[in-house]
Amino acid sequence: MSLDWLSAFLIYALFTVAGTVGMAQFLHLQMGLAGIGNFGIVGFFGLGMYTYGVFIRRIPWPDAMGDILPFVISMLAAVVVTALAGMLIGWFISDLDGDGVLVGTLGFATVVYSLALSEKRWTGGAEGMAVTDPVGFGTKGNSLFWLGLMLLLVVAATYYVARVHRSPYGRLLVAIGQNEPLARSLGKPTFGIKLSLFAIGSAGMGLIGAIFAVMNHFIRPTEIGIEVTLAVMVGLVLGGSARVWGAVVGVLLTAGLFDIVVQIYLPLPDSWYQITLPVVREMVFGAMLILVLLWRPLGVLGDMRRDKLVARLGRG
Amino acid sequence: MLDAKGICSGYRGVTVIKSLDLSVGREVFAVLGANGAGKSTLLATLARLIPLMSGELWFQGEDISRVPSWVSAARGIGYVPQEKGIFPGLTVLENLYVGAMIGSRSREDRLDEVIELFPDIGERRNQLAGTLSGGESRMVACGRALMQDPRLLLLDEPTAGLAPKYVDSFFDKIREIHRTRDVSIILAEQNATKALEVADRVVVLSLGEASAIMDAADVTTEKLKEGYRI
Ligand SMILES: Nc1ncnc2c1ncn2[C@@H]1O[C@H](COP(=O)(O)OP(=O)(O)OP(=O)(O)O)[C@@H](O)[C@H]1O
Ligand SMILES: [Mg+2]
Repeated sequence: MSLDWLSAFLIYALFTVAGTVGMAQFLHLQMGLAGIGNFGIVGFFGLGMYTYGVFIRRIPWPDAMGDILPFVISMLAAVVVTALAGMLIGWFISDLDGDGVLVGTLGFATVVYSLALSEKRWTGGAEGMAVTDPVGFGTKGNSLFWLGLMLLLVVAATYYVARVHRSPYGRLLVAIGQNEPLARSLGKPTFGIKLSLFAIGSAGMGLIGAIFAVMNHFIRPTEIGIEVTLAVMVGLVLGGSARVWGAVVGVLLTAGLFDIVVQIYLPLPDSWYQITLPVVREMVFGAMLILVLLWRPLGVLGDMRRDKLVARLGRG
Repeated sequence: MLDAKGICSGYRGVTVIKSLDLSVGREVFAVLGANGAGKSTLLATLARLIPLMSGELWFQGEDISRVPSWVSAARGIGYVPQEKGIFPGLTVLENLYVGAMIGSRSREDRLDEVIELFPDIGERRNQLAGTLSGGESRMVACGRALMQDPRLLLLDEPTAGLAPKYVDSFFDKIREIHRTRDVSIILAEQNATKALEVADRVVVLSLGEASAIMDAADVTTEKLKEGYRI
């Protein structure tokens, strides 16, 4: 089978879109169900990315360990560090209202960005640092490998979200999001549940960031700008959290359409790619967000869930 | 069942409940008092949603003075607040199901009992709780607490704002819950007449201080007035 149609550019775009879907699924749990508006997505993504980078680059791994073991350890470190950071942030914002959560999480992302810039000894500062690819399937083979891994992660996250949606745990998350004081008297540890939710979501976003680092071969602060958070947020809001597929459909309609269809298949002048397209992208996303909130506040898949879920419950 | 020894509680800087002693057994116990007397504060304190400033709280022989609200709920204290007693974005049925996450009895058995008690909400099981009328959401809130299979139910003015016809039937249900399910009930209430009809004993709160605890059967207007400090 010929894979010529899969240009390096397309593989990379698919990879980015898949990563965005993955993060949108974790946000689905936090914001869509439990009502915690996490605006620090790129902070967790970036922390995962940099943790991986710092581990793989700054630890003098003995040659005897080969390439794979240090890679696995650094990946695990990225997951653990972001999970702990998620717990800390979750604890910090647990008593805040919606605005406080927004500011707190946004602040976290800013801190990660500033640290990436300022801690040159560890992060390489504005120039960033290169990371090597631990697998050896050739240039294209490697890209396909990481794309496959990312897709696997997305499938796993989607499956997990689907499980949560149908479980009493999912209903409890919605209850916490809707009326937290009341949820405290349901006999389940709401605080611990929120913390673990934050830890799981953050670890997932951190893992995506770490895989992104490997695929990208390079880690630098420009990769962890607010656009990452926006793309995830807009995708999820557009698709809606009412259904498991909301995050997937929403991201495909935004980042998917734009980064794949527009950028790769539309014959646009080369000079647009540097400045015009990113700006147009943000503008289109912003406009879509407004339109969706006006016309379909529950997302394009909005009210479909209620009917289905209710029908299922009614039978039970 | 529930023993409060010299409990004080309130909000940031204000002590509302001032050194209250209470011992509630297997009965319907009414807490009367004017607006702002501290009834809701007392019930929320008993539900462990407001921390104790001092004093001790014992439930079924265990000290619950310091436990978080989910623990006391898991041990059998069901709480229906005066306001916001439902999850508006969940359906009626989902509201009831979130109540059934603790306890060992089958969820469907409990559901059948609750719907038998409140047939009206059974008919609306697929409606979003946020779209229910005031009376209906009271029933859902109460039903949700009953789904938790509580040993003690704290009801904060469950009939405020209801049509007289509903008030009567609600009080009948309170009696029925107590009798058939062996659940103790602490009921905060403005309506002294109605409360005295269903309660075994009453206490009157006034500015956070409690009157003597009286048997509902021999409460006189004078005694009540004295409690209200009118
Ligand atoms: N969150 C709060 N912060 C500060 N003070 C409060 C708070 N909630 C209630 N209070 C005060 O505590 C006192 C007792 O209020 P509480 O709600 O317990 O009265 P209540 O007896 O339930 O009245 P009602 O019959 O009107 O419901 C009131 O003076 C009230 O202003
Ligand atoms: Mg009150």
